[in-house]
Amino acid sequence: MPKPLENEPSQTQSGQSLCEKMLQECLRGELRVVNAGVPQSQKRLSTLLNEQYPYVLCNDGSTHFFKRSELQYLASLLEPEEQEALPLPILIELGANQNEATVICGGNAEEKIISIMLNMPVVCQERRIRLYKPQLALLRRKLKTATVYIFSPRTNA
Amino acid sequence: MTMEFLQTARETVEAKRKLLDEFSNLYKALSVASGYHGYIALDKELIATESELKITAGSRSIAGVRVPSLELQDSPNKGGMKRYNPVDTSSWLDHAAQLSGECLRAIVELAELQRNFELLAMEINRTKRITNALEYIIIPGLQATINYLNMKFEERDREEKARLKRVKVLVVRG
Repeated sequence: MPKPLENEPSQTQSGQSLCEKMLQECLRGELRVVNAGVPQSQKRLSTLLNEQYPYVLCNDGSTHFFKRSELQYLASLLEPEEQEALPLPILIELGANQNEATVICGGNAEEKIISIMLNMPVVCQERRIRLYKPQLALLRRKLKTATVYIFSPRTNA
Repeated sequence: MTMEFLQTARETVEAKRKLLDEFSNLYKALSVASGYHGYIALDKELIATESELKITAGSRSIAGVRVPSLELQDSPNKGGMKRYNPVDTSSWLDHAAQLSGECLRAIVELAELQRNFELLAMEINRTKRITNALEYIIIPGLQATINYLNMKFEERDREEKARLKRVKVLVVRG
């Protein structure tokens, strides 16, 4: 095998090889593509309930539409002050571990909603609620437009 | 995406079964109502029940796939046939009217689920094709190129060594 040329170091200063760096750039690009449909910002449930056509704008300029029936169902589960606090869509983070996902949880409203949906108490740790695949399927079945997947390189460990 | 696809498939089957059941019930209810009132009287009552349906259509993203989202808007008569005269009609027709509203909802739900199912299937197929192309064409091609380049470099290395030896011999002679 020929040796690499001396004036082209294969290792960067941080110890990463050029190949690894290129791979990371590629993966970053792929993540940008799959996360194109992620909303730019979230709206409060109370705000969405007052809109004629409830929607949020996505990163790629498209819109994410909410079903009014789902919003009304969520509103029926929450107190008015919790409706003010609940940001929608609820973000479900999918990481490298394919067997579980995490719900990004900003307050108690999300925790309450998820625990009602799953019919079991859930714990919010470091602003995240950990869900397993069957639980995720159950949540998505009930809240189709009120939840959105985001893909991240985190390992959920 | 596969999880969503399987879930959508299950829901589509369920929605289709529900729709067929509801249509069957509606047919029975309408048969009973038409038997009770007679075809002409029923036609006369139902002629004014045609109403505008409002469906809110939007889109959402499932793991990067844009899918439609349809919702039947709530109207005062719930999308069914409810503008007939309640004095001249029976509860059989009320029952049929209620079932017709449920059928409309089921149709919209099934339309959304079926389209989602098709779009997710198409995306999974596309991803599968990309994976296969990478696995069987692009990666083997790149590996062949790497092997070829390695061999070329080794050959150049050997030539260089031979040339240096030759130069050394010439220098010693001179």
